[in-house]
Amino acid sequence: MSTVDSRVSVAPRKPPRKPKPAPGSRGLSPLRVLGMAFVWLFTAVNLLVLYWLVSAAFKTPIEIFTKPFALPAHWFERGDPFRNFAYAWDNAGFGRAFLVTVVLVAVSSVVIVLVSAPAAYALTRLGARGADGMTNFVAIGMGVPFQTVVIPLFIGMAEVNLTNDLFGMFLVYVALSLPFTVFLLTGFFKSLPDELEEAAALDGASPLRTFRTIMLPLARGGLVTALILNAIGLWNETLLAIVFLNENANFTLARALFAFNSAASYQSEYGGLIAGVAIVVLPMLVLYLLLARRIITGLTLGAGK
Amino acid sequence: MATVTFDGATRYYAGSPVPAVDGLDLAVADGEFLVLVGPSGCGKSTTLRMLAGLEGVDDGAIRIGERDVTDLPPKDRDIAMVFQNYALYPHMTVADNIGFHLKIAKMPKAERAARVREAAALLDLEPYLDRKPAKLSGGQRQRVAMGRAIVRRPQVFCMDEPLSNLDAKLRVQTRAQIASLQRRLGVTTIYVTHDQVEAMTMGDRVAVLKDGVLQQCDTPIGLFGRPANLFVAGFIGSPAMNLIPTRASGESADVGGTPIPLSPAARAALTSENIVVGIRPEGWRTLPAGDGVTATIEAVEELGSDQYLYCSADTPHLTPDGTAPQPIAVRAPGMSPWRRGDKLGLAPQPGAVHLFDAETGARLPD
Ligand SMILES: Nc1ncnc2c1ncn2[C@@H]1O[C@H](COP(=O)(O)OP(=O)(O)OP(=O)(O)O)[C@@H](O)[C@H]1O
Ligand SMILES: [Mg+2]
Repeated sequence: MSTVDSRVSVAPRKPPRKPKPAPGSRGLSPLRVLGMAFVWLFTAVNLLVLYWLVSAAFKTPIEIFTKPFALPAHWFERGDPFRNFAYAWDNAGFGRAFLVTVVLVAVSSVVIVLVSAPAAYALTRLGARGADGMTNFVAIGMGVPFQTVVIPLFIGMAEVNLTNDLFGMFLVYVALSLPFTVFLLTGFFKSLPDELEEAAALDGASPLRTFRTIMLPLARGGLVTALILNAIGLWNETLLAIVFLNENANFTLARALFAFNSAASYQSEYGGLIAGVAIVVLPMLVLYLLLARRIITGLTLGAGK
Repeated sequence: MATVTFDGATRYYAGSPVPAVDGLDLAVADGEFLVLVGPSGCGKSTTLRMLAGLEGVDDGAIRIGERDVTDLPPKDRDIAMVFQNYALYPHMTVADNIGFHLKIAKMPKAERAARVREAAALLDLEPYLDRKPAKLSGGQRQRVAMGRAIVRRPQVFCMDEPLSNLDAKLRVQTRAQIASLQRRLGVTTIYVTHDQVEAMTMGDRVAVLKDGVLQQCDTPIGLFGRPANLFVAGFIGSPAMNLIPTRASGESADVGGTPIPLSPAARAALTSENIVVGIRPEGWRTLPAGDGVTATIEAVEELGSDQYLYCSADTPHLTPDGTAPQPIAVRAPGMSPWRRGDKLGLAPQPGAVHLFDAETGARLPD
């Protein structure tokens, strides 16, 4: 036993403001300099585009073309800064499109995850014969660009009268999103320890119960990630919406923006058009900023082991 | 409560031509604490997992009591298992972890809570019932895993190295707690470890496995006092028994120029003249140099309570394959004045000599 009295007061020690990095990790190697330069350049270009988009949404067409990087002035001086947004909202039918998109994206994303999670669980965890082969087969689906199947898909859907129909759109979205989501979640379920399932089996839980009460709660991070990624992807989805939807009442935001594009450019309403783009893009940008950390940890979680 | 019987149980893993467990015959009595011990990869966990129903049985049978459970799923075997890394459900509280089986068995809530509290009291876990496992220390997690097992009052406990994640001091404490808890509950227990101290101190009987084959199953004293073959002799005991390969000539075997007498039964059982003489470090008497085997001390290990001397015989005996003999470990009282380079005489104590057939590895009759 040490007899040193630890209560003897010592002058409070001050920690360094910034802990010292490991030796050798701070030097400016050429690769590091190059990498940093590239990252900053990439960031700068993106910020510039974002700045241009947001500022142009408040400008008149003349301002957009003559002073592309200046701050907007005209509509502010006229005391009507949101004029472009109002124009876009009124003329593009965004009101209804917003509602349609929110419902369609939410329902589709939830259903995608609801279908993918049990599938991924069965593929990774139940030891089914040929599960690895099936997982690879599902993964192949990610390699098929959906643009290549648009036409046969359209013909097939037309046969069953599900074109220009939101339910049909929902089916297409769910089907085309499954490969990626199942694949993402298999990685996730694989990373969970076997012992938990074995413990549950010894405790008498059926496979279904084990899935519901043990594995699903543990995979929550992965499920949320899958949900968010799908929501963002579907929110921005344009091509399929253009092909499958041709009635204003069924338009999603992206589809409505596409229709609005022709009308607005015809009238040279470029400010209004860009405001329309901003209305479509900004909600997802905000969502992404709020959830970025969660998405990134979710994406790399399955990769650990 | 029940007996457990392995009847030629064999397990092959896919992709391996040799079985991980090979024709295991083992009968565990009702309420017995049986320890499975052996080097890494010898098939201890596989044995336990076959019993629990987590691995298939490729050949043979396993019975719990009179019931053949070979083809029953884990949930129908009434076995509770403590995993090496505990496998606690991370999103459930301690109470829910302990009560999960009872919940699945549809026990009424009040009764369940009472059972959980009773188990928690037994393990000093009451203050932690509402915590999640992540907020517990290693020792507390270990106790939760134990709680999850005992709350079920199962027929059999299976424990796979439950103490290996604890520090040395806690391990000694918990070792005693588990052993006394098991005696109190009287549940048949199969306990896997690779730590021979755990094996010797906890088990009613100890089964030693090597390469999937049962070597010997006996009480700790039986295992230590009469190892059935060279492997068990070298595995049980620390430091290990001195195994001295030499030749039998006539009625004795030569160790460092000193004859070790062989009984007629031992001579009759020998399959060749190659023999192994086994003497534990504590089986030697130290004499003044000149008596017995004259040897030089090459290293001294002082443990305070004991001292281990590693000596080489001055007239080395011939090993059958001509290699240099291993140093002989000798236990001396702690703080003895021995120094490196000192010369001393060594003689086996009466009854401390074990003889093995060098070809078959089997123990020779006394
Ligand atoms: N899932 C598996 N697939 C293939 N081989 C396996 C598998 N599990 C274990 N083995 C092999 O079976 C043999 C016995 O393994 P087992 O896990 O039973 O050893 P153990 O005695 O528990 O070892 P340890 O003390 O290291 O835990 C080993 O050779 C191991 O490589
Ligand atoms: Mg093991």
